Amino acid sequence: MFHWLEKNPFLFAVGVFVVIAFAGLIEILPNFAEASRPVKGLKPYTVLELAGKEVYKKDNCIACHSQLIRPFKAETDRYGRYSLSGEYAYDRPFLWGSKRTGPDLHRVGNYRTPEWHANHMWDPKSVVPASIMPAYKHQFTNIADIATAYAEAVTVKKVFHTPYGDDIQPGKAAYEKYYKEKVLPEALKIAKAMKNKDVLDMVKQGKVPEIVALIAYLERLK
Amino acid sequence: MQSSAALEYDYSVAKLYMWTTVIFGIVGMTIGVLIASQLAWPELNYLFGEYGTFSRLRPLHTNVVIYGFTVSGIMATFYYAAQRVLKVSLAELPFFNFLAKLDFVAYLFAAAAMVVSELMGITASKEYAQMEWPLDVAIVVYWVIWGIVMFGMIGARREKALYISMWYYIATFLGVAMLYVFNNMEVPTIFFSGGVGAWYHSVSMYAGTNDALVQWWWGHNAVAFVFTVPIIAMIYYFLPKESGQAVYSYKLSLLSFWGLMFVYLWAGGHHLLWSTVPDWMQTMGSVFSVVLILPSWGSAINMLLTMKGEWNQLTENPLIKFMILASTFYMLSTLEGPIQSVKSVNAIAHFTDWIPGHVHDGVLGWVAFMIFAAIMHMSTRVFKREIYSKSLLEAQFWIQTIGVVLYFTSMWIAGITQGMMWRAVDEYGNLMYSFIDTVSVLHPYYAIRAIGGLLYLIGMFMFAYNFIMTATAGRKLEQEPQFRSPMA
Amino acid sequence: MTMAELQGYMMFFFTIFLVVILYAYILHLYRSEKKGERDYEKYGKIAIEDEIDDKPVEVNPKISNEKKEK
Repeated sequence: MFHWLEKNPFLFAVGVFVVIAFAGLIEILPNFAEASRPVKGLKPYTVLELAGKEVYKKDNCIACHSQLIRPFKAETDRYGRYSLSGEYAYDRPFLWGSKRTGPDLHRVGNYRTPEWHANHMWDPKSVVPASIMPAYKHQFTNIADIATAYAEAVTVKKVFHTPYGDDIQPGKAAYEKYYKEKVLPEALKIAKAMKNKDVLDMVKQGKVPEIVALIAYLERLK
Repeated sequence: MQSSAALEYDYSVAKLYMWTTVIFGIVGMTIGVLIASQLAWPELNYLFGEYGTFSRLRPLHTNVVIYGFTVSGIMATFYYAAQRVLKVSLAELPFFNFLAKLDFVAYLFAAAAMVVSELMGITASKEYAQMEWPLDVAIVVYWVIWGIVMFGMIGARREKALYISMWYYIATFLGVAMLYVFNNMEVPTIFFSGGVGAWYHSVSMYAGTNDALVQWWWGHNAVAFVFTVPIIAMIYYFLPKESGQAVYSYKLSLLSFWGLMFVYLWAGGHHLLWSTVPDWMQTMGSVFSVVLILPSWGSAINMLLTMKGEWNQLTENPLIKFMILASTFYMLSTLEGPIQSVKSVNAIAHFTDWIPGHVHDGVLGWVAFMIFAAIMHMSTRVFKREIYSKSLLEAQFWIQTIGVVLYFTSMWIAGITQGMMWRAVDEYGNLMYSFIDTVSVLHPYYAIRAIGGLLYLIGMFMFAYNFIMTATAGRKLEQEPQFRSPMA
Repeated sequence: MTMAELQGYMMFFFTIFLVVILYAYILHLYRSEKKGERDYEKYGKIAIEDEIDDKPVEVNPKISNEKKEK
């Protein structure tokens, strides 16, 4: 009865495939529609925030910081409200992380300021003396890749119908217009709140360093 | 059988992958020791500027040891053992032999591109799937070519029945193919943005909780199909061959195979306990993780029993030592994993150092030990030389064993300590420790872990030296050894 | 019926189905050995006798014919 399976490599392969695909089919696919509904009032990330998320990915903050508050009293006391599925509806990819060498960041925007972040990223020990986090000084000089973040906004608007306004359109001209009218003013606000003169000067010259985008993103995590 | 008398197995591809196994092993483990030390002594973060921080190097470490060291080891053993259990030589199949060599070249390019892009911080940010879409495409092509070669060889086999190792290699091919493709579904932004932004950037097809589900369905099963299934394939071939004892129970090996295939895929949910994925899936992940002990131990016990009546070999032959310790560590980590998947244990263990501790008793104790033994066994046949030094191999075994033990014990203590401190409350119900308190307390454990890792790395260098000397200066053998690998 | 219910039923019955198959497989392994139809343990020898000119445990009929003609 099972002899054919052991002797025919092709049928064997099909058998293995059915058995291993079964779990995925049941567990993942049917839940898709429900799990991707955003919570009420959730806004998509602004382009500057998306660029900040790219910095978060590039310097791989996820290696040490989670963005998932579990429903325990010890966690809600420490970090705030526990996380809801709908809060992640615009997170592509998800950035929950799997290790907390540093604290959770899902609601860090509630209890830190741009100035604190600026000091912290320049020299973590200046605000947390026992910190083992490395300094990220290069973020103050590297220019953020706003264009790629804009491309991401265009893509998710088109492909996944993420509710962005009409000013997000493909093409270089639309991007440049958006950069001047939307991204720079937002960056200027962050730069002012950071109280860092060099960064402020850069933004005034029309350049957005990575740190500004990153802080915009961290401020958004609430 | 006159015509096949002159025919020999063609080990050229296996040989190439053996070298990359050693090279990637050294690179990956060196980075590993560096980042472990960075946690204990943070000043080490500033050795290479932007490119030397813990966060930037950590995915490089995981990817180099997974896709460099382990995948090379899998390929080396496949191109060696598959020929032998199928009784077909690649020399008879020039087309597939060519494809296999071509595939090796593709592998080198992909690996180089992976290292460079990750150093630059170009990443999709999903664990063990960090590579961006152009590299994903390259990897799928690489994998499919491997599959073609595999089935080409199977089609030409003289041995009608497929040996159990082949079952596991086939499962590796199918499992990784399915998981990798689905997890890396992403939309390249350049196709929609009208020429704005970086060409290599993409966004995940899945968002938030869905993305997490798919990612850990992958993340967990990458462990299954890269760190477990092909390693079992190795031990089912190399342990019997080295010891001269057939597998204790072939039937048990067949049963364990189907059990593992069915159960393993369900267990991914245990990475997401207490998260926002539906409750029933979390429970499912927990339950199946516990059930997973059965097929895992089925294979491991089968291996131990294979040595029945031949335990003296354990003291005489270091390669047997490596393999037996590997199956013992396999049993340990397949017991530890289910324990961590129990929801109440997971509440403490998740996000702590117990998790890297668990991963490393698996990969250092089980995966790498098995690969070391396999490479040494193969080198006597492939280079037709005696292993250069038995005492070096013995010393490596003990140094690395001590390294692994230091590694996982320190991480157990660190993980449980931190997990308990996070939730500790005083008599009024207020949190007792600030977060940084729970970090500072870990320093001694991080230091011990770094030392454990360093010992393991020293062992890796001893192994590399032994391997190179075997390949170039080992005493020549006139005849291929039948079972036990000869060593000086 | 909602998707979630369908999921539940699929899951339940398919799991039972696979468990039944697994047990049938165990039964099959031991029964066919008892009846003397086949000896599974001999396949363990494939790894031991793996020189290219060793006699295969079970000859693949398609291939060995071709080879003899040469």
